[in-house]
Amino acid sequence: MRKLYVILSSVLLILSGCNMRVLDPKSQTAKGQSFLIQFSFALMMIVFTTVIVLFIWFVWKYRQTEENKHRIPEDEKGNRFFEITWTVLPIILLAVLAVPTIKITYEISASSSATPPNAVHIDVTAQQFSWTFEYQNGVVQTSELVIPKDRPVVFHLNSDDVIHSFWVPKLGGKMDVIPGKERRLIVTPDEIGTYQGKCAEFCGKEHSLMRFETIVKTQEDYKQWIQKMKRKTE
Amino acid sequence: MNTFKTERFRDKQLGFVMYLIGEAIMFATLFATYFIYTPTAINPIPKEVFEARTVIISSVFLLTSSATIHYGEKAVEKGNHKGIWIGLLTTFLLSVGFIGMEAHEFQTYYKEGFTLTQNLFLSSFYILVGLHASHVLFGMGWMLVLAYQKNRIPFMNYAQKQNIFSYYWHFVDVVWIFIITLVYGPYLFY
Amino acid sequence: MTFYLFDRSFYIASDVLLAYITVILSGAAIFYLITKADKWPTIKKYVTTTHHRKIGVLYLLSATLFFIRAGIEALIIRVQLAVPENDWWVFQGDKFNEAFTTHGTIMIFFVAMPLLIGLMNVAVPLQIGARDMAFPYMNAVSFWLFLAGAILVNMSFFMTASPNAGWTAYAPLSISTYTPEAGNDYYVFGLQVSGIGTILAAINMIVTIVRHRAPGMKLTRMPLFPWSTLITSFLILIAFPVLTIALYILMFDRMFGTQFFTGEAGSPIYWQHLFWIFGHPEVYIIILPAFGIFSDIISTFSKKRVFGYTSMVIAITIIGLLGFMVWVHHMFTVGLGPLVNTVFAITTMLIAVPTGIKIFNWLFTMRKGLIQLTTPMLFSLGFIPTFVVGGVTGVMLSVAAADMQYHDSYFVVAHFHYTMIGGTVLGAFAGIYYWFPKMFGIKLKETLGKWHFWLFVIGFHITFFPMHLAGLNGMPRRVYTYLPKDDVFIYNFVSTIGAFLMGLGTLAFIWNIYQSFKNPDYTGNDPWDGRTLEWAVPSPAPEHPFQPMPLVKTIDPLWEAKRNRGGKLPEAESARSAPIDVTSWQPIGLAGMMMVFSLAFIYHQTWLQIIAGIGVLSFFVIRNLTDEHVRVAREEENE
Repeated sequence: MRKLYVILSSVLLILSGCNMRVLDPKSQTAKGQSFLIQFSFALMMIVFTTVIVLFIWFVWKYRQTEENKHRIPEDEKGNRFFEITWTVLPIILLAVLAVPTIKITYEISASSSATPPNAVHIDVTAQQFSWTFEYQNGVVQTSELVIPKDRPVVFHLNSDDVIHSFWVPKLGGKMDVIPGKERRLIVTPDEIGTYQGKCAEFCGKEHSLMRFETIVKTQEDYKQWIQKMKRKTE
Repeated sequence: MNTFKTERFRDKQLGFVMYLIGEAIMFATLFATYFIYTPTAINPIPKEVFEARTVIISSVFLLTSSATIHYGEKAVEKGNHKGIWIGLLTTFLLSVGFIGMEAHEFQTYYKEGFTLTQNLFLSSFYILVGLHASHVLFGMGWMLVLAYQKNRIPFMNYAQKQNIFSYYWHFVDVVWIFIITLVYGPYLFY
Repeated sequence: MTFYLFDRSFYIASDVLLAYITVILSGAAIFYLITKADKWPTIKKYVTTTHHRKIGVLYLLSATLFFIRAGIEALIIRVQLAVPENDWWVFQGDKFNEAFTTHGTIMIFFVAMPLLIGLMNVAVPLQIGARDMAFPYMNAVSFWLFLAGAILVNMSFFMTASPNAGWTAYAPLSISTYTPEAGNDYYVFGLQVSGIGTILAAINMIVTIVRHRAPGMKLTRMPLFPWSTLITSFLILIAFPVLTIALYILMFDRMFGTQFFTGEAGSPIYWQHLFWIFGHPEVYIIILPAFGIFSDIISTFSKKRVFGYTSMVIAITIIGLLGFMVWVHHMFTVGLGPLVNTVFAITTMLIAVPTGIKIFNWLFTMRKGLIQLTTPMLFSLGFIPTFVVGGVTGVMLSVAAADMQYHDSYFVVAHFHYTMIGGTVLGAFAGIYYWFPKMFGIKLKETLGKWHFWLFVIGFHITFFPMHLAGLNGMPRRVYTYLPKDDVFIYNFVSTIGAFLMGLGTLAFIWNIYQSFKNPDYTGNDPWDGRTLEWAVPSPAPEHPFQPMPLVKTIDPLWEAKRNRGGKLPEAESARSAPIDVTSWQPIGLAGMMMVFSLAFIYHQTWLQIIAGIGVLSFFVIRNLTDEHVRVAREEENE
């Protein structure tokens, strides 16, 4: 019962939108993922509730008491109908889950392989234990990533040493950064703000400190910023 | 003379077959490793390295030894002691020949500069063929122990021990057949 | 702390120093107590034994010790993470990384595995009517090899070189370029040596179950614990050799300069494939036996045969098969492409179906039964909701696109602790309470057992439930610190409190064992009104059980006998020859030599490698020359 209470109260917390970064998406990609999380959670709550209700019911109803303790229950081998039910129903449930899973998984990776025409390209280099962002016009930034709103940003991910993982929870799921092989990730932020970015793959001693700030600016502000940075480097 | 196949011995046979399944998976993983890394971007390519002559000679040695140990096996079943000695001795001599050829092969490669760390094709070649060679070496030691025990323990026990050994030896042979067809074959005989 | 000796300075971290002091003092205390109680002969008996029950006890004992070690590490991890930007003791940076690496490695390989293999050793032969394991000598070898590997990994800490690349040892971090210290060499050799022991144990189980069942004990009448043991053993036999080779290749990369897993020439992803082709079946290896334990316990304490026996067996088999087809779900963020990701997402979801079948079968076993809330049953009941939480988060994780958010975050940490503790650890506790009478002839105390259960399970949920939320709020795993602005403080703080409750629960368990031996409740053969054959033999299980050999005619033969035959099992006319029991110092000697051999590699001492290598090989020869089968054959000849 206690477990149920803890779980239910936290469900309420989540539903009331208490700003979990993953559930507070600021890009199309992250929105798709956030939808999948909530959808799968809802489906799974059906399973969970069914099991818990049966569990509490059976344990309570058939517990040994002073009156019934000499009873010998009848053996039952099984029940074909029940067994088929709890094989088929989960399959249907999973099929329902599989459809959006496939759709969104393909969408996310399709957007990562295409190159949108007006995209901003940024070379991201991960090394123990910091991030470097290089813009097309030669501007190099460390630990701070500035990107424009409503424009696709193509991250070209490369590692100088071990495996890292590029993760900005509010902008969408992570992508591993692997030495020797470039990986790409495309996101289109749709809200301005400052979001946390982290290395999500354990990469050595100071893995915990390998963080960066992601600042999403309006296109206008972004243009000004990048020109200012350009002048600085020259 | 089939009496050595007691119930306890059948346990052992089954257990050993299970062990060989595990070994087979180990070798399969090493074969996969070889396929993934061969050929590599860095030279040398397999064709520059392999020599058909040594491979053929060592294969003749090892594959014949499968026949001789089989002969030894038949001799055990018939209780033909002389046949057992012949089977064991010829198998041992053939395995010496095989190991000699392998040593010669590796030595030649090393002289030509094809070392373990040269490139990933060579690395995966050495760790696979080297592991196989160490199995042959282990089998040779095993044969020495068998020969030592031949007249010192009851014949039933000896028969069981040799039977298990011949399982092992056939397995090592089969792995070698895979090595010729999958490791050397594509680069030597097409 | 720095010491000066012979004009040289030695640095020892204070945690290592403390560990040395603790180990030396407690070692001395144990030595004194053993001598005082005159228990050395008992210890000698256990060290040289090849009897399945004693080896089972050895497995369980060492697993408990390692559980305490890795548990202390868990507490250390939790203390360091209790508040943001914590600077507690020395556990930042590499020290923290070492702590979670060895925590994971030890918990999986040296706690979960031996707990289950230990229970298999104790119970499986008796449940199927075998007189011992098929190969008693090899059984001892398995155990001592496992222990040698475990000691190697544990020893690394004292040599101030703990493995520090995570229990998954992802390359290229685990390659000598990035971790040149001896730590990950200990990992490689420790797992290799104990892995060989595990493979041998699996072979032993397979042969025992296939060939040593009592007359009439068809596979379709076998209890579910032996069934799950059989399937698990096949999983071990197929999965562990892959680990063996992965470690073999990693050894070449670390020690002999090859580049299989480097970023430049090789492929770091290949390590991940190899590791997870082993690693995912490994997860089922440590959960399926627990399923078997729960099936037997729930059936016993509901006083009903297990519901849907056939579908239970089919479900375990399907889980075992699917277990080999899902490894890529650990690698969704690697970038293998949408096709691979969706295929593996779907196979992963499919595993939920047989698992669900099992959950409902357990529920319906209890339905219309008579549920007795004994401690083993409590643990089994605690398992159901806990494991279902782990199961549903598992399905959520299988959704490939969403997994990109969960992956390597605390959500995953929460998920696998729900399955591993909720399944394996609760299963092992249930099994220990259940079969304790069969091991020692005494019951564990029920009241303390209940304290143990409630503290542990409540502590468990307090520890791990908040981790889901921390993960959703963007907390990556394997970090030693976080910032106040990350908004994960409250979850971490609650977790830490829960972890200490679990610690208290474990203390209750140890106190329970102590109390139970101090004021023993001797029990008869059948303290739980059991259903299967192990309850027909005396407690503790004798060296030569089943004389006369029972003839099995139904599932749950003892229950049937108690209902219809006044408790007397029908006797079989003839039984197959029993395995030969021996006592021998060779297994521990061989394992010790393997340890020396490994150390020679870890510290690059060629001369010692050669000597120890010859030493290891000579054990094969000695074994061959002292074969007990020869002795028995001679005795039979003389008769």
